[in-house]
Amino acid sequence: MESNKKYWKGLEELQNTKDFAEKSKNEFAEPLPMEEVLNEAGLSTVAPRRDFLKALGFGLGAVTLAACQKVPVHKSIPYLVKPEEIVPGIPNYYTSTFNGHSVLVKTREGRPIKIEGNPDCMLSKGSLDAKGQASVLDLYDVSKLKGPVLNDADATWENIDKFLKQELLQVKTGGKKIRIVSSTVNSPSTKAAIADFTAQYPNTKHVQVDAVSYTGMIKANENSFGKAVLPRYRFDKADLIVSFGADFLGTWISPLEFSRQYVSKRNNTALEGKKMSRHIQFETGMSLTGSNADARLPLKPSEEGIALLNLYAALGGVLSGSKPLANNPNAEKAIALAAKELSAAKGASLVVSGSNDVSIQIVVNAINALLGSYGTTIDLDNPSYQFAGNDAEFVEFVNEMNRGEVDAVFFLNSNPAYEFNDAKAFTDALSKVKLRVSFADRKDETASLCQVIAPNHHYLESWGDSNPVEGYYTIIQPAINPVYNSRNAEQGLLIWSENPVTDYYQYIQNNWSKSVLAQSGTTWKELLQKGSVTLPAKSAGVYSFSRELNSVVQTIIAESNSLAKGGENGIELHIYQNVAIGDGKAANNPWLQELPDPVSKVTWDNYAAINPKFAEKLGIAELDLVEIKTDKYSVTLPVLLQPGQATGTVSVALGYGRVKAGKAGSEVGKNAYPFLRLVNATLQISTSASISKASGTYQLAQTQTHHTIEGRNIVRETTLKNFLKDPTAGTGHAHVNKYDLWNEYEQPGHNWVMAIDLNACTGCGACIVACNAENNIPVVGRDEVRRRREMHWIRIDRYYSINDGDNRITKEEEIDKLENLDNVSVVHQPMMCQHCDHAPCETVCPVLATVHSSEGLNQMAYNRCIGTRYCANNCPYKVRRFNWFNYWNDSRFDNYMNNEYTQLVLNPDVTTRSRGVMEKCSMCVQRIQAGKLAAKLDKRKLKDGDIKVACQQTCPTNAIIFGDGNDPESEVSKALKSERTYYVLEEINVKPGVGYQTKVRNTVEV
Amino acid sequence: MSSHHESILREPLVTGENITYSKVTEDILVPVENKPNKAWWIGFIVSAMGAGLWIFSVSWTFWFGVGEWGLNKTVGWAWDITGFVWWVGIGHAGTLISAVLLLFRQNWRNSINRSAEAMTIFAVICAASYIISHMGRPWLFHWALPLPNQYGSLWVNFNSPLVWDVFAISTYFSVSLVFWYTGLLPDIATIRDRAIGTRRRIYSILSFGWNGSVKTWQRFELVSLILAGVSTPLVLSVHTIVSMDFATSVIPGWHTTIFPPYFVAGAIFSGFAMVQTLLLVTRKVMNFENYITMFHIESMNKIIILTGSIVGVAYLTELFIAWYSGVEYEQYAFLNRVSGPYWWAYWIMMTCNVISPQLFWFKKVRTSIALSWLLSIVVNIGMWFERFVIIVTSLHRDYLPSSWVMFYPSWVDVGIFIGSIGLFFTLFLLFLRVLPAIAMAEVKLLLKSSSDQAKQKLIAEKSVDKGQAEYYIESLEKYDSISPKVAEYEKV
Repeated sequence: MESNKKYWKGLEELQNTKDFAEKSKNEFAEPLPMEEVLNEAGLSTVAPRRDFLKALGFGLGAVTLAACQKVPVHKSIPYLVKPEEIVPGIPNYYTSTFNGHSVLVKTREGRPIKIEGNPDCMLSKGSLDAKGQASVLDLYDVSKLKGPVLNDADATWENIDKFLKQELLQVKTGGKKIRIVSSTVNSPSTKAAIADFTAQYPNTKHVQVDAVSYTGMIKANENSFGKAVLPRYRFDKADLIVSFGADFLGTWISPLEFSRQYVSKRNNTALEGKKMSRHIQFETGMSLTGSNADARLPLKPSEEGIALLNLYAALGGVLSGSKPLANNPNAEKAIALAAKELSAAKGASLVVSGSNDVSIQIVVNAINALLGSYGTTIDLDNPSYQFAGNDAEFVEFVNEMNRGEVDAVFFLNSNPAYEFNDAKAFTDALSKVKLRVSFADRKDETASLCQVIAPNHHYLESWGDSNPVEGYYTIIQPAINPVYNSRNAEQGLLIWSENPVTDYYQYIQNNWSKSVLAQSGTTWKELLQKGSVTLPAKSAGVYSFSRELNSVVQTIIAESNSLAKGGENGIELHIYQNVAIGDGKAANNPWLQELPDPVSKVTWDNYAAINPKFAEKLGIAELDLVEIKTDKYSVTLPVLLQPGQATGTVSVALGYGRVKAGKAGSEVGKNAYPFLRLVNATLQISTSASISKASGTYQLAQTQTHHTIEGRNIVRETTLKNFLKDPTAGTGHAHVNKYDLWNEYEQPGHNWVMAIDLNACTGCGACIVACNAENNIPVVGRDEVRRRREMHWIRIDRYYSINDGDNRITKEEEIDKLENLDNVSVVHQPMMCQHCDHAPCETVCPVLATVHSSEGLNQMAYNRCIGTRYCANNCPYKVRRFNWFNYWNDSRFDNYMNNEYTQLVLNPDVTTRSRGVMEKCSMCVQRIQAGKLAAKLDKRKLKDGDIKVACQQTCPTNAIIFGDGNDPESEVSKALKSERTYYVLEEINVKPGVGYQTKVRNTVEV
Repeated sequence: MSSHHESILREPLVTGENITYSKVTEDILVPVENKPNKAWWIGFIVSAMGAGLWIFSVSWTFWFGVGEWGLNKTVGWAWDITGFVWWVGIGHAGTLISAVLLLFRQNWRNSINRSAEAMTIFAVICAASYIISHMGRPWLFHWALPLPNQYGSLWVNFNSPLVWDVFAISTYFSVSLVFWYTGLLPDIATIRDRAIGTRRRIYSILSFGWNGSVKTWQRFELVSLILAGVSTPLVLSVHTIVSMDFATSVIPGWHTTIFPPYFVAGAIFSGFAMVQTLLLVTRKVMNFENYITMFHIESMNKIIILTGSIVGVAYLTELFIAWYSGVEYEQYAFLNRVSGPYWWAYWIMMTCNVISPQLFWFKKVRTSIALSWLLSIVVNIGMWFERFVIIVTSLHRDYLPSSWVMFYPSWVDVGIFIGSIGLFFTLFLLFLRVLPAIAMAEVKLLLKSSSDQAKQKLIAEKSVDKGQAEYYIESLEKYDSISPKVAEYEKV
């Protein structure tokens, strides 16, 4: 019923008085005193003193308060004119090349944020190593030069060009020499540019020198077979690999390619075919490769050549004069055994050596020829161009400078003032050169001695190409405008040599259309899409060895004697590259500095690795500082007790002790390059030295300090023999109680799970850096790692066990009692959030900040986290990481995200976490979402393999498989059904979502 | 209650001659109604410096982040939760004394309950401050409360023992506060009646209009009884729930069903030790010897020996069960406690908590003021180490040896802990100045029945058995507040 009630405001309205009727016409019942205020009198009213003071006080206070908050200035340019192809929020991928490997560059809104292997890459097949993953960060490095430098002052490119043309003309008329010094150049276009430059300035010579040299091998091949190249090795064809100090999975020639090849003979597929290769490693320090070997024997550098001679003799090689391995009966026995095994595996075996000694490499060639490796496991006809440096040429160059014959020198990707063993001789000689030019991107050790620094582009800013192995050409294309005012080095060479084509892009295109594109019949566009061109490979020829070895034997014995000369506190010093820092060129990359060494788990430092028992004998303990001394050089380094290190030796990594690398990389560790020795025109990586305890102690920043599994069944392993008898061998399925506190729940959609093959994982750590880049993981620096607060979401646990006869000893207490620690086995176990179905972290969070998704993921809601840290305490796998500080906005963490340049590398799909919240592996939930969305847009079902998590994507050996456990056909479901699968800590019934497959060792019982 | 006579066999709870109701009031209100003495000032300045350190260290933590503590990826709790559990445990004696002993009509509680309850409240304040400051984002601490909100609505995780803990501690604090304050009402009224000026006005408001009528007293008794009933389960539940912070986890060394009773016993143990620490000093400085007598001290020592032994049995049971379980992780956790890198912490705990209280079997020890005080400190140290051992040695080496670490405290950890002791004593000393440290009204109840004076009268009246009287006289020997008056008695 409609109401006809009428409410009235007052009696006036009810009675509708005249007065009321009048007023109701106006908007306001009573007139507002606006007029009075605004009229002149109102304005001119003298404010009483107190009112004035009140107003003043309020005004002052309000303004002060408002001014307290500094309003940040955000510079942002909207996409008013949107570049074609760029859709905000959708990444674009471009092909490029890192270090000879074709890669895909992921860009977001024009910024490269992640590098991934190109599945079409012949060498990597889509994987990428730690250095490649980290290379994107160098693009935004704030330690780089912001523009060209002329005589220590900022300059313009016009000035530089004018200056250099003038100077070069003078040099040309003077008739003195011009030298271009670079590390190995395998780019056809760079070579062409240098050739064009040489044509203009005929006194020019290109000197290639590598920080870590392979001259010995190249010369040995020239000597043995008349081919001055590095061969291509085929570890995927070798059933038996015997390596003498070659760290082919970590740093030797082409580790990414070799890892994939090597594991293809050892992974789940190989094992399902009941086959597995065997790998014997003789080496001084515990390398990544040695840690993966089936049998590993410590060998002093002085014994390496002798051992190879003995092996050659044992294989039936003719040898005049040899020497027994006097003090190493184990190695002696092992050599005999290896010879027997090698003879049995002729044609499918491979012997490699990491030595840079021509004589030793000649013996290796002889052995391989004897074994019939050429044409099967070694390909000399499709050689590798990854390293072509020549130590002798560089030494000659230093002499030329000393003699005053050189008037101009250009340094391209080469830093001899740091990398050359006799840096002082080099810098002294350099001062005699009139014109010194460096293409370095920063004022590094050499560049700071040059008049001109013409900063080269980062590879993500430049055009370029590469020819890493015969018949394989890759292209570098820019993914961003130059971040700083840099320019292609080649462009500089073209301009200075008055080349008709000065645009390097045009130059490359011309170059390619003449050669590779014409040969292969591909177009430029197709090339840019695919990233590389592969020409048909030549067939690998069989080579036989016919040289006389007399003089070689003599050289080897003499060198061995000189290394082993001993003396008081005498040691043999072994210099090596580690996986993260390598030769030190990327030392300013905080991701790499914080990447733990795969074996020692040390970050942010190099150290003197000593065998624990030997150290005991020397009276040296962990944390001690020691002085290592040769007649030319000495350094003080912290000690790392390294099981498996050959007794009587010390290993020290190269790449540290830079003084002008930048914010992160300068003054980290000590330089070991001066220990290298020039012997017979090649730089040798071992030397005789002495060790003595220095005063003081030093704590290394290690991410793992307990080294054994203490008899726990968290890592399960078996031998090939047992595996063939029973594929479930070693899985040791623990008793799992079926009783459950929690209700089962439906998972109708996906169930994201993971399978990790311990036999495929080599422990290289590429996944760690990939995860850093993908998930914006903070770098915390040395001090915080010392406090055990590294933030890595995925880590690789490394455990030692000592083989004492048939026993595998894993308890530290028992190991302490052992006399001989030489027979060490190592296992690498990638560990990240296990996404437990019964996650202990989830039940204890008071605020539901970590919960389970219906797709089996254990998820973190950062915004909800209040930081009680109970979840981390209650995680049996200890994979949760707490943001102790505001790493991205705290001046104490100046390594990484604390500036506006490096923040450009952040993945916009992943939030940066604030101080006080917990974080952990999300199984790249942003990639899962992106994959599902893409499938949805295409109106199709999600396919297995559509989504690859970052660690899986980059893994060189496909050790990590991720996918939908609810799909019985998915790769991961099949892997998890393997008999080798077990779950870590399954007995506590947390139902982890990550399955591991047992480690199988191809051991031979003697 | 006060009209009937108490058995002569019971030892006196109030000593001294010519103790009248007015004398009780005069004695107890000395510190409240007069300017503080030198001892108080020294204590207060030292404590206030401690509290200053606490404010500095906590502010430092809030400003820079929890990273300023010594924690790491494996040990997520250390001195913070050790301190938290330690303080909560200390609080327990107060509740036990005020509630459980009231229900059991243990009249000796009357002279110590006020201070013990105050101690409870201050200890819980210290504990609660740890809860807030250990959080990564303390400004969001209210998210741990089930408050209505606009997120959906998003509740707390009722499965999480930390949420139970929030309920337990907040309930505990509020009930203790109400109980304590209710008990204070008649005493505040007494102060009010004696005061003038502003003081009178303040105490008048604080006394909630207490008028001393029979009805008021009747209600007072009833409320006390009800609150005692409410508090009694809390004595058991609070530390049970605190223990579940550990017991419901999967970490070897935490995942233990023995924890609730073991924690409750440990809490009472440490609480009584703290009461001893405080009252032995207060008694001396404030001249309360007649009200807090040797009987009280001895009784508390007896409770310490009982609870200390329970704790000792629990330690041994844990070791046995670890061995008996056959679980290698569990076995290692306990082996590591006993002989790992933190072995010294374990053995400090064992010595202080299990061995040293056994000295109280000797009457000489438990009636010696100096030794009682010393051992109470020892027990407090031991109980701190117990929590440290449980928390840190379990965490630092759990399942995967790759994550095993050592924990080293930073100066901020130490600062907050020492500072929290300073805060506690500051609050306690302030309490002594403004409120009666002994429940006057309740002590007055005992005067006619349980005081030495009353008993003397009984003997004088010859209305008691002679043998019993002699027994009583003998029991007085240990009293330091009864001077060689034994002769006088004998005369009687």
